[in-house]
Amino acid sequence: MTDAGKSDKRWRNLLGIVKRPKPVVGATPADVVHRENKWSLLRYRARPAGLAFATPVLLVPSLINRHYVLDLQPGRSIAETLVARGHDVFILEWGTPGPEDRFLSFDTITDQYLGRAIRVAAQHGARGKAHVLGYCLGGTLAVVHAAVRPERIASLTVLAAPVAFHDDGMLSLWTRSSRFDLGAMIDATGNVPWRLMQGAFQMLRPTLPLSKAAQVVDRAWDDEFLDGYFALEAWGSDNVSFPGEAYRRYIEALYRADGLMQETFTLSGEPVLLRNIKCPTLAVTFAHDNIVPEESAAPLIERIGSVDKERVHLPGGHVGAVISRKALATLWPTISAWWAAHDAEPVEAKAVELKPVVAKSVAGPKAKGAKAR
Amino acid sequence: MMGWDSWKKGFDAWENTTAKHLETVLRSPLVLGPGGALLTAVMRSKASVDGALDSWWSALGLPTRRDQERALHALNQMQSRLIDLEETLGEIRAQQQKSSQG
Repeated sequence: MTDAGKSDKRWRNLLGIVKRPKPVVGATPADVVHRENKWSLLRYRARPAGLAFATPVLLVPSLINRHYVLDLQPGRSIAETLVARGHDVFILEWGTPGPEDRFLSFDTITDQYLGRAIRVAAQHGARGKAHVLGYCLGGTLAVVHAAVRPERIASLTVLAAPVAFHDDGMLSLWTRSSRFDLGAMIDATGNVPWRLMQGAFQMLRPTLPLSKAAQVVDRAWDDEFLDGYFALEAWGSDNVSFPGEAYRRYIEALYRADGLMQETFTLSGEPVLLRNIKCPTLAVTFAHDNIVPEESAAPLIERIGSVDKERVHLPGGHVGAVISRKALATLWPTISAWWAAHDAEPVEAKAVELKPVVAKSVAGPKAKGAKAR
Repeated sequence: MMGWDSWKKGFDAWENTTAKHLETVLRSPLVLGPGGALLTAVMRSKASVDGALDSWWSALGLPTRRDQERALHALNQMQSRLIDLEETLGEIRAQQQKSSQG
């Protein structure tokens, strides 16, 4: 496109930005196969050619984010990419906690809920195990679970998952501030409001909204960029609150006491020792991640007891490096190949009969309606 | 285009420098301490207002919001226990089927 053409397109797009149709997110067809309290487990429909691998994959997003960051847009979806490669893909949608979930404990979420999701996914595999992939806090939950309940986990993959919390990052500094009374906040709010957490994330780089606005003006001629930008913004502003009691434990035992590094953290009364993780493990860290700095995520590989372990350090930030087109072309095929290498014998392609436990399918814009569910 | 490109370069440089300065400010104990104290004070006052309203409400013999939340949470826990049982039963049935086939 010529400079004049770009300029013309830019102004047309900027003037029409308010009327721009809302982005379609979470559009890869999936069925709800389990539902409990507010969370649900979705299983993506297999590609027409059938599955190529014997072991299912379970994707575990962060507790405060919607699942569709891993299924952002058609053509720019991790779930779609993995399904197309022949994986049997499950994803956990944590749902929106109600006021009563202020009493929900970290153990219930990490042991019972995540454990159930892993078991449901694993029972669809030939080995009775699943590859578990956790992203951000979802990765931390997966690590804690794998250290205590490794039976159904074929391999562990974590993306930007914090395990060492006494890092130099701003989130670590703020949450460890002695003048901040965590108990008072949870008593007052019940669940920790997502607006409060989003405010904290924005404070990590207060100039970011201005920078984003300038970027939109700069790239407004590019429809593909605008679609991706608004899809990501839709996800970024669609957060959920953090269950109060779980948050209390998360901050006190992990951020403040650094429980995973100090080996003081427990899950349902059992000690969580990273050296007990013996399954094949792949950890991905990002160089420009200001939410989970490298020093917070990297120690996992040093501490675990697995013989088969690997860390990949990539340029990019916390979200961009995971969902960008470049990541779809390089990172995800690498992860898929790593799973394939740790799979049992590839199965012969066969059609999969899907039997949803809860007969509701989510596809198209409805999937965004995790909000509505 | 040239004008816009120059402005964008200048803006990026300004944004980068400003973000670094703001990070220094937000890391400073002079900001962190009072910020944490202010947040704590706001939260404590909200909790005490909520507590006073709850006491008044329960004095009328009515269940407070917290009571209702506890009841709902207990129901959710019961649902999970039932699913646990279903899961255990499923495993037992599967084992029985296996042994009868064997």
